[in-house]
This record gives sequence, C-alpha cells and structure tokens, in this order.
Amino acid sequence: MIDVALDISQRAHAVSEPRGLPVKISVEKLRFYYGDRLALRDVSVPLHAGQVTAFIGPSGCGKSTLLRVLNRIYDLYPNQRAEGRVMLDGENILDSGRDVILLRAQIGMVFQKPTPFPLSIYENVAFGVRLHHRVSRSELDDRVEQALRRAALWNEVKDKLSASGQSLSGGQQQRLCIARTIAVQPEIILLDEPCSALDPISTAKIEELICELKDDYTIVLVTHNMQQAARVSDFTAFMYLGELIEFGPTGKMFTAPGDRRTQDYITGRFG
Amino acid sequence: MRAWDTAFRLLTLGAALAVLILLASVIVVLVIGAAPALQAFGFGFLVDDSWNPVSERFGALAPIYGTLIVSSIALLIAVPIGLGIATFLSELCPIWLRNPIGIAIELLAGIPSIIYGIWGLFVFAPFLQVTVQPALIDLFAPLPWLSDLFAGPPYGIGVLTAGLILAIMVLPFIASVSRDVFLATPAVLKEAAYGVGATTWEVVRHVILPYARTGVIGAILLGLGRALGETMAVTFVIGNAHRVSVSLFAPGTTISATIANEFTEAVGSLYTSALVALGLILFVITFIVLAAARYLLLRLDRRGGA
Amino acid sequence: MASYRARRRKSAIAGGLMVAATALGLGWLVLILGVLIWNGLAGLSLRVFTEATPPPGTTGGLLNAITGSLMITVVAVVIGTPLGILAGTWMAEYGRYARLTTIVRFVNDVLLSAPSIVIGVFVYEILVAPIGHFSGYAGACALALIVVPVVVRTTEDMLRLVPDELRESAASVGMPCAILITRLLYRAARAGLLTGVLLAIARISGETAPLLFTALNNQFFSLDMMQPVASLPVVIFQFALSPYKDWQDLAWAGALIITLAVLTLSIIARVLAATRKSA
Repeated sequence: MIDVALDISQRAHAVSEPRGLPVKISVEKLRFYYGDRLALRDVSVPLHAGQVTAFIGPSGCGKSTLLRVLNRIYDLYPNQRAEGRVMLDGENILDSGRDVILLRAQIGMVFQKPTPFPLSIYENVAFGVRLHHRVSRSELDDRVEQALRRAALWNEVKDKLSASGQSLSGGQQQRLCIARTIAVQPEIILLDEPCSALDPISTAKIEELICELKDDYTIVLVTHNMQQAARVSDFTAFMYLGELIEFGPTGKMFTAPGDRRTQDYITGRFG
Repeated sequence: MRAWDTAFRLLTLGAALAVLILLASVIVVLVIGAAPALQAFGFGFLVDDSWNPVSERFGALAPIYGTLIVSSIALLIAVPIGLGIATFLSELCPIWLRNPIGIAIELLAGIPSIIYGIWGLFVFAPFLQVTVQPALIDLFAPLPWLSDLFAGPPYGIGVLTAGLILAIMVLPFIASVSRDVFLATPAVLKEAAYGVGATTWEVVRHVILPYARTGVIGAILLGLGRALGETMAVTFVIGNAHRVSVSLFAPGTTISATIANEFTEAVGSLYTSALVALGLILFVITFIVLAAARYLLLRLDRRGGA
Repeated sequence: MASYRARRRKSAIAGGLMVAATALGLGWLVLILGVLIWNGLAGLSLRVFTEATPPPGTTGGLLNAITGSLMITVVAVVIGTPLGILAGTWMAEYGRYARLTTIVRFVNDVLLSAPSIVIGVFVYEILVAPIGHFSGYAGACALALIVVPVVVRTTEDMLRLVPDELRESAASVGMPCAILITRLLYRAARAGLLTGVLLAIARISGETAPLLFTALNNQFFSLDMMQPVASLPVVIFQFALSPYKDWQDLAWAGALIITLAVLTLSIIARVLAATRKSA
C-alpha cells in the first residue's frame, strides 16, 4: 500500500492542478429515488472536460446510480426518478423537455457486462452511427474502422467483420462495446465497472484504452477497484450511503484524504 | 425518425386495445343475436326443457344440464388421475423418464378434438356398449337409487360415454398444469419434511398439496373451462337428444353439440336466435370459470417464490 | 401415532396408485394413436391426395379438403400473427409497467380458452349473416381469432425473456424504442416468436367447430375463398357421422393426415425451443 501511495504521489505532481480546467458536467444537489427510497442525497460534483473522474465507494453507495442519471438511462424504469440539476453546456439534462435520444448520443455508456448486439461486429459499430448521421457506405466503413482502431480491436477483427459480435471473447466484447460507443462520437463516456467481468489481461488493455481516450473525451468511471481508480483517473470522488463524502485530484485523495471515512475506506478498514 | 417511433408505439397500442375490443364485440354481438329469443322466452328459457323447431318453442334446460353433467363426469375422473400423474412426475418418477412422459402428455393434449370424436364413435362407444355398460347395469341393479343412474339399454353412446371421452381429453391438461405447480414447490419445504422421516405420500399430502392448493384449483378450473366448451369430442358420442334424463346411459346434448348440429339447419330467426342465446350462456359460464381460474393462478404467481 | 409399517404401506399404496394413474392416463395415447394409424393407413391412398371428395357410394379423395384447409390456415395466420405480435410487443415493451397490460393479459387468457364454437357463432353473425353467404374468408377470420391469443401470449413471454441489458445498451447509443424492438428485440427473440406461430398453427389445424358455419363445406375442388370452402376437419365430421363405408374410410385417412400435421408442427416447435435454450 505504501508503494502504491508513493507511486501515485509522483504521478499526482505530473497532473496539473484543477484551477482553470473547464467543467463539462456539473451535478448540483442531485437527489435520486427508487420508489420511495432515497438513494442519492444532494450530491454535487464537477466533472472536468478531458479528464477521467473516478467514483469509488463500497457496494450500495450510489455510484452506479449517479452514473445512470447522467445519460438518463433510469428513464426506462417508471419508479425511478431524479431531482436537482445536472448541467451540461449550460442546460439541465434532467428537464423533461430534453431530447433523451440526442442526449444519449452525446453521452455514451459502457456497462459492466459486455452486451454486444445480436448482430455482426461491423453492424454492432455501424448501427449507432446510422441512427444519428447520414453517411455513405464508404464513410460508414471509415467510421467503423476508426472506432475499432481507437478501441484497440481493429487488428483482431478486421478479417471477420461479418462474424457475430457475440462470438468474441469477454475482453474483446467489451472493447467492441467501447468501439460502439465511440463510433457515435459522444463528448462524454460513462463507464460502469467496465472491467469487473474481465480477466486481468483484458482489464489492463482496457485501462490503457481509458488513458488514451482521455485526450478526446470526458470520462466518468465507476469502479469498486481502488487501485484501478488510482492508476487511471485524474479526479476521484468517494461516495458512501448515497452521499458524496469527498472529491479531489486522485493523487491527493489517495495520499492525504481530508475526510476520516475516505481514509478508512482507502486503507481497507471497511468496504 | 421520431415520427416512426410514435407511429409504431400507437400501432402496437392499437393492437393491444384490439384484444379488448374483440372480447367486447363478442359479447355485444352475442347479446344482440340472442335478444329475440331471450325476449320471447324470458328467464324461463333457462329451465324449459322443450325444444320444438316446428312450434318454435325452445328451452335451454336440456343443453345446460347435459353440459354440466358431462363436464362433471369428466372432471370427476380426470382430476384424481391428473393429480396422480402430476404427483408421480414430481416425486416418484425417475429423472430419465420425466421428459418422455412429459412429451406424451403434451402429445395427448395436442391431439385435435375431432380425433377423439371419431375414435369415441367407432372404438370407444362400441367397446363400452359391449363391456362396461352391461357390467355397470348388473352391478347397480340391486341398489335403489344408483340403478336409475345406470338404467336403460346400453347404447354405447350417451352422456356417460361423452363424459369419459372428455375426461381423457381434459386429463393431460390438468396433469401438466398441476405438474408445473408441484414442481414449483420450494425444495426446502419438501426436504424439511423428508428430513424428519416423512414418507412420500405424507409429503405429498401434507406439504405439496396444501402449498399448491391454489394452483391446483386453478388448474382444475382451467380444465373445467375447456370441458365446458368442448364440441367435437362430445358431439360424436352424446346422441343429440334434447332431453334431461336421470340415466347416464341415455343420450342427451350439450350446448356446444346443439349449436354444432343445428346451426346450419336452423330455419327461422327465432330458432337461430335461440341457438345464439345458448352460445351466449356458454360464453358467460366459461368466462366466469376461466376468470376465476386466472385469478387464482395469478394469486399463486404473486405468492410463489416466497 | 400411526405405526411405521402402516405409514410405509400407505405410502406404497399411494405410490402404486400414482403409477397406475400415469399408466392409465397415458395408455390412452397408445390406444388412440394406434387405432388412428391402423384405420388411417387403411384409408390412405394416392387418390386421397389427387381427387376431390366423392358423392356417397363412389371412391374419391380429400384434395379439396386439404387445399381448403391449407388456404384457410394460411389466411388465418396472415391475419392473426401480425396483430398478435404487435399486441404482445406493446405489452412487453411500451406498456410493461402499465395497468392496461394486466387487463389485456387477463382478457387475452380468457379468449385463449374460450369455446371455439362461440367464436364461430360470432364470426357468423358479423361476416356471414350480413353478407348472405358462407365464405372461406369468414372461416379464416374465425381461426384468426384463435391464432391471436396464442401469439399474443407467446410474444409477450418471449420478449420479456430478452434481458434488460440489451435494451439498456441500445438506449445508451440513443436508439429509439421502435428501432430497438424491430431491429434488435425481434431478432433476439425470433426463435421464440416462431415457436408461438407454429403452436398457433398446430392449434387451428384441428379446429372444426369454428368452421362449421363460417366456411361451411364444398363438395368440389375450389380455390375461391369468397365462397364456401371445404376443410379437412369439417369433411371428417360429415363423413364420419355418415353411414357410408367409403366416406368413413376417408374420414379416418383425413384424421390421420391432420394428426400427423399437428404432431409434426409440435415437434418442430419443441426443437426450436430447445435450440433457443442452448444457444
């Protein structure tokens, strides 16, 4: 644990201080209900553009719930509702008048369990593109290839684009899902414990990928693996029982957390 | 793109509503068709056993009576046997035998009713006429009341035969629904009982049946609903006589058999209307039985898994 | 406190009764199928498939009945399947949590087990009496009313089996519901949906009562669905109850054909369901 802390503190100095970094999404006093049960209490947190923000905390703390508010995927279920403000480019995405479909094209999501569509690899990636953009066949081919390259999957599948997406291994399927998300050209990518169903090697590949994607996207990562958060993220938020306990640059969070509870969690006292 | 989405949603909603409209239409159309007869005969229609196309006097008593008797006989036989099969499948049956027997039950359930009808007419009825019916007559002759039940010449066809055929038809249905209900009994309950040394029969009687009681009743009601509406298997062997008799060997008729036999030949609007009225009565009876069955099975679904 | 031996004995007797019940209940299957195959094969010949139904006393076949049944079945499926799938789709997707879905499901289940003869009377009143004559289309509509509840039920069940994760992934790339359903869900559930249609066809193949006064019957070979059309079940009904041996033989042959068709469809449906499970 000490080694990790030293390693991180060195990296922390390499990351620039947050002053002046633009905020892409601002969560303000967010409350979330499953039926009558309050799951998120007045959560407020800034998500900086072009940075990776990780959410950590024990099971049930609400980190996945928070993520699922950001692209309003909870809308699919009638007894879940959110109150408060989530400001994206100056507008509250929780507004009922908001076009959810376009919102989800702007904010992509990768889930815990890789879920490729029951289509070919090519179609998996192309589907989303066709939904939102009118492109010719050759442009579509380019977009698919680009997305697969960025997801570090192109070389492994370029000869079998017509094979079923479900015929790939777990790690490959997850990268396919990432490619699918990227192809739609979102500004923000949400990752909900993307590696928890994968083996260590696939996990490492995807962590590399996250670091590379950071340049072009704002990334929000939910993970129960603290070391992963430490390795990959620029900012970390610690949540507990539906509340945001502490937020700050990753280096500081892991070496000198301000709140007692954060420290206890990080040192493994609970969780 | 958004327009397509809304259009599709409305299309599917319309289809779902169409199901409701369908039921409503059936009831409305039947009522309209039955109105002349119901107006002409009033509630007496239900207890009148006459059926005279010439004088245009019709009564539903014989068909209703026949329907109820035939269904009762069918259930009386099919329920114990069906439950026996269901318990066998869920408790005693060796694993490798479960699937074949399950398939056999489904095959039995899938045989079209007209097959049962002709089999009944050409094979079963003659068989009964020669063996079972004389035996029953002899058996019950000395007993005062029961002899009336099995009186009269053994025609082979008749109410009893129709009831037996119906029993064979309804049997696989009750067996398979009950089997599903029994298999859904939580293993922990059964294991707890076996664990204190209960015999198989005791587990069935004191653990499974009480737990599955609601579901079993639902299954029986479903079987009853089927039996009440069954036409072809019954029409072939019931003898088609509009009368109410005590003897089970006598020919009779059921609502569906009456409609099936006479609808195309009904001359005169009152005759047709009387037949439609019979159809309405049958629909109402089956509706009530099926609604009760579904309600019970719904309660079981909600409770299940507890 | 009953003695241990007595309890054991009771259980053994009960067990014996259960086995007897099973043998008794299923023995009929062997008996019925045996007689059916025996008599049916005796009545079968090439003529059955090439000649139309004969007047009593002469030989003939069942050609018009077979083609009639096929035509009516096809039309019934064409009418009933889309309606059933669309209704089931609404219940499983758009209306999943709505009160209306519970009501529709209830009504659908009632229609599923409703006496088919009453359906026949209903269709007579709306499609035969007002028009003035029987028709193959009326018969097809009556059968369609039996197809719809079956397809609605299986469609809703099959769509609900598709895991929510697929819906969420589709939603997360901004896919509208209609496209999710038509391009992804139908594809994912296609084996199940097909099974539903096959089961519906198996069910209507043997239905006689609804055809008795809608499509009626037709002695001659005809492809005109606007007029009365012969069908296997109705022909069997007529021939079996007649006193003519030729007709009775044809009735058995027809019965065998129907049963084989129904069993084959059921087996295919089963195989489909099994491959879906293992996929």
